[in-house]
Amino acid sequence: MGFLLLPPVLVFVLSYFKINRTFMAVVSSTIAFGVIYVFTHPFMNEYFFVDKLGGFVLAISSIVAVAIFVSMISLPERIKLDEKSIRRFYRFFAVFWIGIIISILSNNMGLYWVGLEFATLSTVYMIKVKVSKEANIEAWRYLIVGAIAISLILFGIILIYASSKNILGDYAMNFYALMHNTQKINDYLFELGFLFVIVGMFIKMGFFPMNLWLADIERASVYQVGALFSGILESAIILGFFRFASIEKNINYSHLIGIGYTHILITLFIVSFLIYRAKDFVRLFSLSGIEHMGLIALFWISGGYFAALLHFASHAFMKPALFISSGILEQNKKYLFKGALKNINKFTALIISAFFLGVISLPPSPMFFSEIYGFKAMVDVARDSNYFILMLVGIFGVLILLSIIFYKFVHIYQDMLYNGDEKEKKVYTSEILAVLILFISTALLLLPQSFEFIKGIVK
Amino acid sequence: MTNVLIGFFTATLITSLFTNRLFRLYFWYGINSLILGLIGVVMGKIYNLNELVIMGIVTIVVKFLIIPLVLKKITFRFKISRDITPIIKIQYLTILVPVVLVFTYYLITPVLKTFQTHPNFVAISISALFLSLLLIMEHKRMIAKVMGFLFIENALFLLGIVSTNGMPMLIELGIFFDLMLFILIINLLLKYQGE
Repeated sequence: MGFLLLPPVLVFVLSYFKINRTFMAVVSSTIAFGVIYVFTHPFMNEYFFVDKLGGFVLAISSIVAVAIFVSMISLPERIKLDEKSIRRFYRFFAVFWIGIIISILSNNMGLYWVGLEFATLSTVYMIKVKVSKEANIEAWRYLIVGAIAISLILFGIILIYASSKNILGDYAMNFYALMHNTQKINDYLFELGFLFVIVGMFIKMGFFPMNLWLADIERASVYQVGALFSGILESAIILGFFRFASIEKNINYSHLIGIGYTHILITLFIVSFLIYRAKDFVRLFSLSGIEHMGLIALFWISGGYFAALLHFASHAFMKPALFISSGILEQNKKYLFKGALKNINKFTALIISAFFLGVISLPPSPMFFSEIYGFKAMVDVARDSNYFILMLVGIFGVLILLSIIFYKFVHIYQDMLYNGDEKEKKVYTSEILAVLILFISTALLLLPQSFEFIKGIVK
Repeated sequence: MTNVLIGFFTATLITSLFTNRLFRLYFWYGINSLILGLIGVVMGKIYNLNELVIMGIVTIVVKFLIIPLVLKKITFRFKISRDITPIIKIQYLTILVPVVLVFTYYLITPVLKTFQTHPNFVAISISALFLSLLLIMEHKRMIAKVMGFLFIENALFLLGIVSTNGMPMLIELGIFFDLMLFILIINLLLKYQGE
């Protein structure tokens, strides 16, 4: 465990000295040792545990974190920042990373929350690192909305704790203990707590009715913040959702399906039309992130664990890559899709295109496979339920909404490639390297061995 | 004794909803936290839980003494306007508050017999959460919204005390540490950009 916290602690300490950004990237990459160690030495105690699921999420978020560190080498060239701001950015990134690691590996619901709160609060300053009026407003907004969301999660956690404290004592805080004692839990109180928890999580992920707050924040801040949100923060949140939903599934599956399907369907409905009207890359990617989070949650609650995890991993790699690429794509103008891919070297254009089309599940993207498996799981659930027709209509509705998103992305891609003027664009090596790391990681997901491993995480 | 304290806890929270001056809001927050700390101490004594007594005392020190003072200092330092007139009219608030209270009592009805403490306490802590959210919604000014969040923290602590006789010590300390970080971030935001 200490191994894992060493790189962020080092980054935190080094942020007080003159920053060498390349060295910071090298320091961050040492997380690989910790991840490998944790993977090979699973452990469990009262506060932390590493199961296959936690290890998987940790590995993915660590790869994304390293890629973001690499992309930050060229951050001052892309956005005007003074030395002091860069130092603070690194400092808060380190705190954020510590929070995420604690959150991902926690066996204790309270500790999970503490890590998440750490990560949330430290992001506030990272948003405002860009000197602009919008960034200032969004930093405040993030502080308030993020804090409310996280408070709702804690409120739910306390109720869940109360639901089983009489039986499990202090172990009522443990995910592991709860998962293995679902029969003894006070159903009503647990479900009340679960409701608070998922409302908080859905707010954090930008679900209905908070669809635009994340998009606005990511638009106002530096590109790396968007990458950080979609690749790391949302990983920790969705992991929590996986764990809580697994318990709820054993308590009252029909409630989980009812609440989950209804809420996600409404979210997808709104998000698809917001994507249709999106006018810039960052908002487009951010809204697409909400869509994918919705799909992951939908696959998980439908019992399509493999699909949910594959979708989650591919999204966690692809979306940060797209956010980092936004710096390259938006050089014409912020609100101009046309010609964004023109006058960029072929290799860069190819990788960005692969991500752009991969994120709408065009084969051979891993998302293509995850969606096939995911929809199969959804149909299976519908077949076994008493509301077969209703659920089938819901699934069909999701497919229609996805096709709207697909159409918009293809349309924008054609604009990027064939329309608009050719203008000179700068592409920095660090950005390409970061995107390449994520590209290779995404490609590795397509290996049969990766499929086998993901299938083995939750059986 | 706990009954009286819980009553005052709710009363101070409701009063803060109608407040339109910033320092008065700090004052009511301080009193609310003091009562919360006392609830912790009293219940800790009743159930013989030293951890709860300690957390009650820490609450009084941090939330009653330190946080209002720090907030006052911040207000002077950054010359924050003290007028925080709510955007929801008082007549609507007077309808909303009882609705919230009744709704939470209804919400908790199926589990009345689950708790060691009086179930009304749990209903009140849930209503305190909703009332704090209302406080956030009714103000346009950021500093008042921040106060709403601090009231939510109090509601969380109250729920922790009355529904579970206190959360594990480590978690409580983690929450306090986060609260400190929250205040630090507010200070940083105000320092570098203003409200």
